[in-house]
Amino acid sequence: MAADPYEVLGVKKDASQSDIQKAYRALAKKLHPDLNPGNKQAEERFKEVAGAYDLLGDEKKRARFDSGEIDASGAERPQQRQYYRDFADAGSQYSNDAGFADFADDDILSQIFRGRGRGGPVNMRGQDRHYRLELEFLDAINGATQHITLPDGASLDVRIPAGTRDGQTLRLRGKGAPGIGEGPPGDALVEVTVRPHRTFSRDGDNIRVELPISLSEAVLGGKVTVPTPTGPVTMTVPKWSNTGAVLRLKGRGVTRADGDKGDELVALKIVLPEKPDPELESLIAKWGGAYNPRETMEA
Amino acid sequence: MEAEKFVVHARIDVRTLETWVAAGWLVPGSVEGRAHYSEVDLARAHLINDLAGLGVNEAGVPIVLDLVDQLHGLRRVLRHALAVARSGQAGESG
Repeated sequence: MAADPYEVLGVKKDASQSDIQKAYRALAKKLHPDLNPGNKQAEERFKEVAGAYDLLGDEKKRARFDSGEIDASGAERPQQRQYYRDFADAGSQYSNDAGFADFADDDILSQIFRGRGRGGPVNMRGQDRHYRLELEFLDAINGATQHITLPDGASLDVRIPAGTRDGQTLRLRGKGAPGIGEGPPGDALVEVTVRPHRTFSRDGDNIRVELPISLSEAVLGGKVTVPTPTGPVTMTVPKWSNTGAVLRLKGRGVTRADGDKGDELVALKIVLPEKPDPELESLIAKWGGAYNPRETMEA
Repeated sequence: MEAEKFVVHARIDVRTLETWVAAGWLVPGSVEGRAHYSEVDLARAHLINDLAGLGVNEAGVPIVLDLVDQLHGLRRVLRHALAVARSGQAGESG
């Protein structure tokens, strides 16, 4: 939902509320999955359009967006929902045969209706069902089991493999809609979103972390404790380490599908004591070592 | 699910639900004498909500619902027919 909602709806920033409503209605009519049951692509686009309208269609939310108070992701996450068309094949109390009642006498069709075509009874695989799941960063890295509550209150256990990426889709075989006849059930497709972490970030199979170190650790070196996704480990900072130096903790990164592991990359950052320290100041004054760290910088 | 839960999921109030049921737009099942709503009903309620958002008025909603239901019926028959045709072909070649 990061796209600019004005662009999604194709309106100018100064468009009136009624222009925005008009633009939304024009797009939604074309894209609503239930009004376009055969168009598989429509659903994603419709979600985008509905999300953009959720933000801009409400004058108060739009003002907050315009002033930068909320960003495009401040749009209400489209409710996890199933569309009416998802039930079309299963048949329900709403099923309506009026559209082909006048064909009912046709030889071929009447055979089909009796389920006795040339090949015998019909077996069809059930439809896939789509779900969305938000994961904590560490659950995605280390793996976990999560429950999804379905719209009817039933729940589904989803095993999250270690190393799951943001945007990845997990397929749960046989957890979709039931099949027709002896056809197998469809699959459940779970799209994963991973929440960011305060300390860690992910870079491919590696984990990146910024580690504050003291001045004396930077100058003299020493052992420090570093957080990793699987718990803290001890690492040696070599003497004379600068801010920006990157140390590699082998095998402390993300588990790959083949079982190998990426590394954790620790970027050092020298941090002075929070309050001024007269002892340190007099030491530095006595030191007098002159060097120009900006030598290679262009004017 | 029961009506109380249904209105929350469908984002409508109880009066609206009563109106929709009275108009025949929703046809809940019945469990122990109480109205019971299924996932189909919920998806249909979302569709009705969206139609209102698109400017379809009270008279238009049942027309759209009826045509959508007919379209689904036709698609189901077509799918069925294709599956039969396909399984027939498989039978002949084997």
